Amino acid sequence: MPIPVAYNVRNLLVRRWTSAFSAGGIALVVAATMLLAALVGGLQRMLVATGEPDNWVVLRKGATNDGSSQVPREAAQAIRTLPGIARGADGQPLASPELVNQPFMVTREGGRENVLVRGVEPVAFAVHRSLRIVEGRMFQPKLGEVVIGTGIARRYAGARLGSSIEFGRRHWRVVGVFDSGGTSFDSEIWADVADVQDDTRRQGYSGVRVTLAPEADPAAFVHRVESDGRFTLEATPELAYYEEQAESANTLYVLVLTLAIVMGTGALFGALNTMYAAVAARTPEIGTLRALGFPRRAILVSFLTESLMLAAAGLVGGAALAALAVWSINTLLAGVQFAMMTFSVATVLLHISPGGALLGTTIAVAIGVLGGLAPAWHAARLRVVDALHRA
Amino acid sequence: MTWRRLVWRNLFRHPLRAIFTTLAVALAIFLVCAVLTLPAALATILERSASNVRISVHHKAGLTYWLPFAYVARVRNIPGVAGVNHFSWFGGIYDEPKNLFPNFAIDPDTVDDVWPDYGIPAETLARFRAVRNGCLVGNATMERFGWRIGQEITLRGTIFPVNLTFRIVGVIPPGVGNPYVLWFHRKYLEEAMEERGGFGNVGMIWIRAERPEDVDRIMASVDALFRNSEAEVASETEKAFIGSFFGSMQAMIRVILAVGFLCVGAVVLIAANTSAMGIRERVPEIAIMKSLGFPRRAILLALVAESTTQALLGGLLGAGGAWGILGALAAAGKTGASAFLGPLGSFRMSPEIAGQGVLIALAVGLVAGFVPAWNGARLPVVEALRKLF
Amino acid sequence: MIEVRDVSRLYRRGVDVVHALEHVTLRIPDGRFVALMGPSGSGKSTLLNLLAGLDRPDSGEVIVAGQPLSGLDDEALAAWRARHVGLIFQFYNLIPVLTAVENVELPLLLTALRRPERRRRAEIALAAVGLAHRPHHRPQQLSGGEQQRVAIARAIVTDPDLIVADEPTGDLDAKSAVEILELLRELNRAFGKSIVMVTHDPRGERFVHDVIRLDKGVLVNGTRATAAP
Repeated sequence: MPIPVAYNVRNLLVRRWTSAFSAGGIALVVAATMLLAALVGGLQRMLVATGEPDNWVVLRKGATNDGSSQVPREAAQAIRTLPGIARGADGQPLASPELVNQPFMVTREGGRENVLVRGVEPVAFAVHRSLRIVEGRMFQPKLGEVVIGTGIARRYAGARLGSSIEFGRRHWRVVGVFDSGGTSFDSEIWADVADVQDDTRRQGYSGVRVTLAPEADPAAFVHRVESDGRFTLEATPELAYYEEQAESANTLYVLVLTLAIVMGTGALFGALNTMYAAVAARTPEIGTLRALGFPRRAILVSFLTESLMLAAAGLVGGAALAALAVWSINTLLAGVQFAMMTFSVATVLLHISPGGALLGTTIAVAIGVLGGLAPAWHAARLRVVDALHRA
Repeated sequence: MTWRRLVWRNLFRHPLRAIFTTLAVALAIFLVCAVLTLPAALATILERSASNVRISVHHKAGLTYWLPFAYVARVRNIPGVAGVNHFSWFGGIYDEPKNLFPNFAIDPDTVDDVWPDYGIPAETLARFRAVRNGCLVGNATMERFGWRIGQEITLRGTIFPVNLTFRIVGVIPPGVGNPYVLWFHRKYLEEAMEERGGFGNVGMIWIRAERPEDVDRIMASVDALFRNSEAEVASETEKAFIGSFFGSMQAMIRVILAVGFLCVGAVVLIAANTSAMGIRERVPEIAIMKSLGFPRRAILLALVAESTTQALLGGLLGAGGAWGILGALAAAGKTGASAFLGPLGSFRMSPEIAGQGVLIALAVGLVAGFVPAWNGARLPVVEALRKLF
Repeated sequence: MIEVRDVSRLYRRGVDVVHALEHVTLRIPDGRFVALMGPSGSGKSTLLNLLAGLDRPDSGEVIVAGQPLSGLDDEALAAWRARHVGLIFQFYNLIPVLTAVENVELPLLLTALRRPERRRRAEIALAAVGLAHRPHHRPQQLSGGEQQRVAIARAIVTDPDLIVADEPTGDLDAKSAVEILELLRELNRAFGKSIVMVTHDPRGERFVHDVIRLDKGVLVNGTRATAAP
C-alpha cells in the first residue's frame, strides 16, 4: 500500500524554509538555463526561419556572406539567363541581383552600429516570398525611397513610416515597413539597388538570389554557375546559407548546455542535502511506518515523490521567472543585439523554444530523481529496529 | 583547540553534506568566473588599444565606403602629425571560408611612425619594406595555421577579384593590437588590380599625433579638410573606434551576466539551506555553549565563520577549476576567437577574475549564513536547555 | 555562600500558568555538596537554573559568592557564569566534533589564556577525573560514564566557585552512576568546591552533605542528611 501523497505535502510544508530554499535553488537554475536557451532559441528561430527551400544564393567563390562578396554586372546578367530559374507572374526570371552595404546608423540611444542595407530590384520581393509590406508601400526606383524591416523601426533614430533617415551619403525617405516573419531580414533596410550603387560608388552587386523552378535540377544549375570560366562564383541553397550563419548560435548552445549541466549539478547537490536531512530527521517516523507494515518500496516511492514535488515547484517557479525575463527583455529592451557574420547587427527577440522548455524540464526532473533516489534508497533500507531506536 | 579548529570541525561533521555544498558553490563560482571573462575581455582589449595619440579616419557614412587615396597625402600636412598610414580591407580567405581573419593593404614605409608601440623589430620592418609581396602576421594567426617565417601563402580575394600570394617576412609581437591581423603592401594590390579596373581608394587612414594634446585639434582639422567634398570623413580616437564595435555586444553580455547572477542566487539558497540545517541540528550544542558563558556575539561569529569558510572553500575550488579548465581550453585552441564572437569566444581568465570569483563566494557565505546564524545565536538559553530535557 | 531570597518563578504554558517556584528562601554555605530533590515538576531544575545564572527569577534575589545576579544583564550574566560556575548536564554535555581534551578546553576560550596554558590546564582537569589516558577520543568513542567525567573535568577547569549538576547520573548505568557520585564527592572534599546537584537518584543522598527537597515549587523542610562515610 502506498503512503498517501498528503504525507509528503504536509512534510514539505512543515519544513517550510528548507523546502522553499531547495525549490528556490532549483527554480533559479531552471530560470538561468531557460533564459540563456531563449537567447539561442531566438537566434535559431531568426536564422532557421530565414530562407526559402527553393532559393539559391550565388556569391563570389569563397565569400562566406553577402557582405564580403563581389559579383560583377555581367555575371548577374549571365545568371539571369540560365535555364532552370522559375518565372514570376510577369514572365521574368526570378533572379534578384542584390548589393549589400553596411553603413553606420545611429540608434535611439545614440549608439553607432552597422546596419545592413540591401539594394534590390522589385523582383526581390518575388524571390524573398516571406516578406510582406505591412505599412506604407514598396519604394519607387531612383527616388531614394526605402522600406525598413520591423527591427529597424524599433531600434534606430527616426526610423518611422514617412520620416527621413540618414545613412551613407544622403537622406532617404521611409515609405514602407515590412515584416518577414521573424527572419533576419527584419533587421535590414531595403532600397533601390541603383540608389545603393550610387551611394557606395560601386557598380555590380554582392550576389544574386535565385528561385529555381520546381522541375529544375539544382545540381545542373550549380554546375553551370560554378563552371563559367568568366567569373568565379559559387551557389549555395539559401537554407544552407543561413544555417551557416547560425554557427555562432551553436557556440552559444554549447554554453547553454554547459550552464545547464554545471548548475544543474550544483542544484542537485542542494537537493541531495535537503533529502538526506529529511530522511535523517524522520528516521523514527520511517521506523514507525515500517513497523506499521508499509513495505520498503512504499518508503522509497514516498521520498522520491517528495523530491519530485520540490523539483516540480522549482520548475514552475523557474519557468515563470524565465518567461518574465524574456518578456521584459523583448518588450522593454526590444530584444538583444547580435553581431552577424555580415558585420552588421541584427536584433534578436528571445524565444523559449520547445527545446528550451524541454531542457528546463529535464534539469528539474533530473534533479528531482537523482536528488531523491539515493536518500530514498537509504530510507527504504533502514532496519525497523534501528530506526525506532533513534526515536 | 582554537576557535578556528572548532569552526573547521563543525564544517565537516557531516562530510557528505559539506562536500555537496562545497561542490555546489564551486560549480556556481566556476560559471561566474567564466561569465565574468566576457566584459573583462572587452575591457582588456580597450585597455590594450588605448593609445591616446592614435586617430582613425574613415568615411563618415561607414566602413564600407572607400576614401580617395589622395586623402592620405593631404592629411600628412596637418601640423602636429607624427605619422600617417592606412588600412584597406582585402578580405582574403586562406584555404577555407571559415578561416576568416582581418587582412589589410597598408603602407609599409610608415608602420613604425604610426605603431611604434607594437614593438616590431627594425630588421623585420626593413624586410617588410624590401619584399614587395611580403606580409607581417599577428602571432595568433601564425599559431592558428602553423605558419613559419619565410612561408608563402595565398589569400583568395572576395571583394577584390584577385588572389594574392604573400611571403611571410615577420611576426607582429603579441601584447598590443589585434593578434590576428595580416598586413601587406598596398602597391602589391594596386598592381594586381591594374587590369581589373585599378584601385585608387583607401579604407581608412591612421594618424599618430605628436602629443596627446594635439589630438582634438588634429581631428577637427581632418574633418574640416574634407567637409563638403566628395567623401566626408569622421575622425575619432582609436579607443572610440574600437569601443564602437563593442557597443553591439553589450546587450548579449548583459543577458549572460544576468544568467550568472541567477546562478549566484541559486547557490546562496543552497548554502543557506545547508547552514540552517546544520544549525537546527546543533541547538543542544549551542545551548551548552551559551550555558558555559559564551556570549551571543561569539556564537554568531562562529556560525557565520562556518558558512563563510564553507563558501570560501567552494569558491577557491571553483575559481581554481575555472582557471585550470579555461586555461587548458585556451591553450588547446579550443576557444579560439571565432570570426565575430571575436574576443568573446576566448574566455581568457585573469587572476583578477579569479579573485572576484572568490570574493563572490565569500559574499555568498556571509549572506547565506547570516540569518540562520542570527536565529541560532539568539536562542534563549533556558528555552534551548528545556528542549533538551 | 549562596543565598536565595524569596524567589518566585512562573511559566506560561499555553493557557496554563505554572508556578515553578514560590517564595523560596535558602542558604547554602561554602564548600557544601548539596542535593536538590523532589518529584517531577517540583521546580528543582528551575531553582538550579537560577543558581547558575541561566535564568532570572520573577521576584526575589539570588546572590552567589556575594554577587547579586539581578544586577547583571544577559551578557554580563554570561560572563559571570563563565568565570564562576561549572555546569554538568544529563544529556548532550559534550561537543561531538571535539575530542575529550578539547571539550575540556572549551570554557578556557573565554579567558585570556594562551593555547599552551589552556591545554595544560585541560590535561590537569582530565587527570583529576581519572581520564588522563583518553584525551584524544571523541565523545562517541567514550562510554556514558567517561563522557560525564569529561563533563566534570570541563566544569572544574575554570576553577569556578560553584559547580552545578542537573541529573548527572540520570542516563548512566548503576556502576557508572556510583563512580560519578564518588568523583563529585571527592572533588568537593579535595578542593572544597560547592556543588549543587539536582537528582532523582536516591543513591545520591548518601554522598551529599545536605538534601533540599522541593515539592510543587515550595521547600519541604530542608533536612540534613549525614555525610556518607
